[in-house]
This record gives sequence, C-alpha cells and structure tokens, in this order.
Amino acid sequence: MSAAENTIAKLHRKVDWPKHLIIWFFILIELFPLYMMFQVSFKDNASFIQQPWLPLPPTEWQWGNWLFAIKLVGPYLANTLFVAVTATISSLFLAILGAYFFSRHKMPFSGLLWALFLFLMLLPTVTNIVPLFMLLKSMSLLNTLLALILVGVAGGQVFNIFVLRHFLEDLPKDLFEAAEMDGASHFQQIINIVIPMSGPIIGTLAILSFLNAWNDFLLPLIILRDKELFTLGVGLIYLDGEYVKPWGKIMASYFLAAIPLILIFLFTMRLFVRGLSAGAIKG
Amino acid sequence: MASTLSRQKVLREWKLYLFVVPSLVMVLIFSYFPAGSAIYHSFFDWSGGEAKQFINWDNYIRAFHDSTLLSSFVTVGALLIFNLFKMIPSILIAVLIHRVTSDKWQYAYRALLVVPMIVPHLVTLFIWKFILDPNLGALNRVIEATGFKSILVWINDFFGWSVFFKDVPIGWLSQPELILPALFIWGFPWIGTVGVLIYLAGLQSIGQEVYEAAELDGIGPFKKFLYIELPLILTQVRLSLVLLIVGTLGQYGLQLLLLNEYGGPGGRGMVPGLWMYNRAFVAGEFGYACAIGVILAFVILGLTIINNRYVRVDK
Repeated sequence: MSAAENTIAKLHRKVDWPKHLIIWFFILIELFPLYMMFQVSFKDNASFIQQPWLPLPPTEWQWGNWLFAIKLVGPYLANTLFVAVTATISSLFLAILGAYFFSRHKMPFSGLLWALFLFLMLLPTVTNIVPLFMLLKSMSLLNTLLALILVGVAGGQVFNIFVLRHFLEDLPKDLFEAAEMDGASHFQQIINIVIPMSGPIIGTLAILSFLNAWNDFLLPLIILRDKELFTLGVGLIYLDGEYVKPWGKIMASYFLAAIPLILIFLFTMRLFVRGLSAGAIKG
Repeated sequence: MASTLSRQKVLREWKLYLFVVPSLVMVLIFSYFPAGSAIYHSFFDWSGGEAKQFINWDNYIRAFHDSTLLSSFVTVGALLIFNLFKMIPSILIAVLIHRVTSDKWQYAYRALLVVPMIVPHLVTLFIWKFILDPNLGALNRVIEATGFKSILVWINDFFGWSVFFKDVPIGWLSQPELILPALFIWGFPWIGTVGVLIYLAGLQSIGQEVYEAAELDGIGPFKKFLYIELPLILTQVRLSLVLLIVGTLGQYGLQLLLLNEYGGPGGRGMVPGLWMYNRAFVAGEFGYACAIGVILAFVILGLTIINNRYVRVDK
C-alpha cells in the first residue's frame, strides 16, 4: 500500500464513527420491540407495571408464562406450520412445472398463456376477498385448512413462475438435449436437471412463500371458526381481544410465534438477505 | 432456450401442455374467477345467499354518494403522503451503510436489519398497539419522561384544541383526532428492511474509488448523495414508489386490527379496503362490497399505469 492510499484509509476510519453512531441509533430503536417482547415475557403483571423497562434477574423469571404460551400457541403453531409447509411445497412444485413449460419450447399459444399469467401481476387482489369467501363457501371449504393451502398455492403461482422461467431459460440448452438423447422424459428432466440446478433460487422462493403463508391473517380470520383449526394469525387476534391482559403471557406467546422464523433465519441467513431483495423486485 | 417447433414436433410434444395445466387451473379458479365474480356481482343487490337482484349501476351510484367511502379515500390519501415521507429513513440508512468502509460491518448491519423480519407481521402490529397503549405504552412514558407532554399541553391550550390534557394519558388509539397522528408514528423509525436491501443492491455499483475521488475533489457528504448515490438508486426509489402506492391503497389489515371494523373512534381510520370488508362481513351487503372493491381496483390500476408511464423502471 502506498503512502497516499494509507492516509486516505486513515482518513476514512476517522470520519466513519458518526455513520456507525447513526446506524446504531436506528437499529437499536428497530430492535427495541424485540427486547421488550423478550424481557416482558418473563414477568407477571405486578412486576411489569412496577418496572417495565429492565429485565428481572433470572432467578425471578416466570417460566409459567412460557408454559401457558406453549399450551395456548402450540396447536396454532402446528396448524400454521402444516399450512405453510404444504402450501410452499405444492406452490413451488406446480410453479416449476409451469415454468418448465414456458422455458423449454415455444409451443403454440404459449404467448397467450404467458399473458394470462402476467396480467395477474397487474390485477389488484384487494377485490378478491369477498368473492373468494363466497367461492370457498360454495365449495364447502369454509372452516378448513385446505382452503388456506389452495388459495396460498394459487396466489404464489404468478410470481414464482415469473422468476423461475427467467432462471430456467438461462440454463445451458445442451444439458436438456443430452438428456433427451438418452431418452429422459420431461418429468425426468425436471427431477434430474431443473431441480438440482436451481437450488438457490428455489430456496429463495420457498422462503418468500413460507413468510407469506406465515404472515397471512386476513383470510384465516374470515374463514376459520373452530378453535382447533386456528392458525397463529387468528389465535393471536383472539388473544389480543381479552379484557384484562396478562402481558407476560401474551409476550411469551408472541415470542413463540416467531421461533420457527428465527430458526429458519439462523440456518439460511444468506438466502434470507438475498431472497428479500429478490422479492422486492417483484413489481 | 425456448425455440419454435415444427408442426410434427408440436404434435409429439403435446404432453408439455400438461405441465402448465395445474398452475393454470389454480389461477383461473382462485384469481380470475373471483375478479370476474366481483365485477359481475357489483351489479346486484346480493346478501350472499341464493337470492340476488340485478340493479344495474345502483351500487356504483350509491358509492359515489357514500360519504364514508369518500372520506375513506381522503384518509388513504393522507396515509399515502405519510408513507412517502416514511421512505426517507430507509434511503438514508442504506446510503450510510453503503458508505461504511469496512465490509464486515456492512454485512453485520445488513443482517441486523433483517432481524425484525423474523417477527411475524401480526406480532409487530400488536407490539405497536402495546407501545401506543395510554397507560402502559412506551410512547406515553417517553413523552412524560422527556417533558414533551407539557409542551403538547401548552400547544393544546394555545390553539384551544381539546386533545392533550395535563395528568390525563394520551389515548392514541381512542381519541378520534389522534388516529391519524398515531398511524403516522406507527412503525417509527420507519425502516423497511426490504426497501433498505433493494437500495443497497442499487448502490453496490459504486466502488470505494469513486468516493475517494470525490473526497480528493473536496465534495461534501450531501453533494455526494445528490450527485453520486441518488442517481444510482433512482430506479429502486421509483420501484418502491410503485409498490408503496399499491400497498397503501390496498391494505386494511392494520386498521382492522389496530382499530376495529368501523375504523376506530369517529371512523377516522376508515380506508376504502376496510369499508369493503365492513360492508361485506359486518353488514352482509356483498353486492355493494363488490362494487367498492371494483372501484378501488380501478383506482389502483389507474395509478399503477400512470406510474409505469411516467416512471420507467429498467431491468
């Protein structure tokens, strides 16, 4: 490193600290709700009202809150996990098939079919909820988890096919031709070429689908009636509706609702960070 | 990769169509059918049952005279302006993170910014409801502790409002006048993870040497932003603008859960989507709700088209 570059580097380090300070200021405020959620989850209402800000010493932690939360939220978690996992897997499977159709050969009418999918990107979905409710009613799917899965799968098709098509079109053509020479069927080509070669993009899309399913609360709120079928969304809404609020128990439940996402985050942080930027380019 | 095929080959490859059928069927049933059904039923007096009566444009005529719907469009316009303002911190933080020289810190900050995403949206929403709680909430405690409350009370007395009072906790979500301010404060410091990440993606093409050259030329931090950074993220800013407009106009889950089906006290938080929900699931006027939905969809579609026309997004 030359002397000049060295001075510049030093100069940088000197003026960097205000940036760090501002960034930390924002990040700390951003993380404050998380901190509150965690420390309040160990308090009962009396100690919370007396000292809301600082955590209790670990010896006084109220593990009962967490037991309550596990009992209350556990079944909701199981339902949500079932819906989210099933919807994510089926949505991606169908989208891979669809994207394969569009990227493999230019068949007659494929332009028209593509337009049919693309148009949905423009169509606002806000109108759909009322007729969707009536449709599910006439299919007697109200109050079932299957309805959530079906709507989730359908909702994810356009975006997933859109992203996957462009990715598949960039895969080397020779691979498919060689496979065809060896007599591989289209389905075998998907299993043996498409899926192994598009691992990261499938992972990213899977995370986005999963997040979508996890965060959905409007449709479950409208169609689910039985307590046994509640997903997290509905369960937490009903918990919020209580008159006297046991804050510690509520916060423990909230925290529990986040744990599956925390686990996914820990294992796939890079996909997470990238996936979110990919998801934002949707528009 | 896609190539045009000869006729014979098309006949041989007909099975390929089977691959697109499942997606197509799903989309037709759960996306196209509801959209069509909404338009169809918007011309009916329909309460959800078998019986329905064709009433021509009556639902639309009613909508244009519906004062709740009209004022809800004003409210959503205000929210749109709030959200435009709320874009600023994300841009600021993205630029700051990009300017940090150490790669290690850059990655650490990115990861820290993603952390709030692991909290389910609903939980974030309820935690904010808790922050805005008059007696226990963090916001009121901060306002009391910093003495900001007495300034508010002074302003209140000066202008003769009856909003802030001494020794009375501020009811952010229970006083009609405070609903919009509460929705403005909501989400402070307004950093959208997704927004920051796409701005950072746009900034990536600026190397350190550009900054060094700028520094040697004696260009200050603000001019650096104006001449180096802003032009590069303009595409991303426009993109988030489109997403923001569509998102703000269409969403009503926040108002539904933070306030109630009626948009809270005085209906000050009523937005068009919520009014549609209310008419359908509270009043049972499904036909009218469909008409509101169709109007809202056309407004969103119109704004999207205007955006695409005047705001070019290059891939």
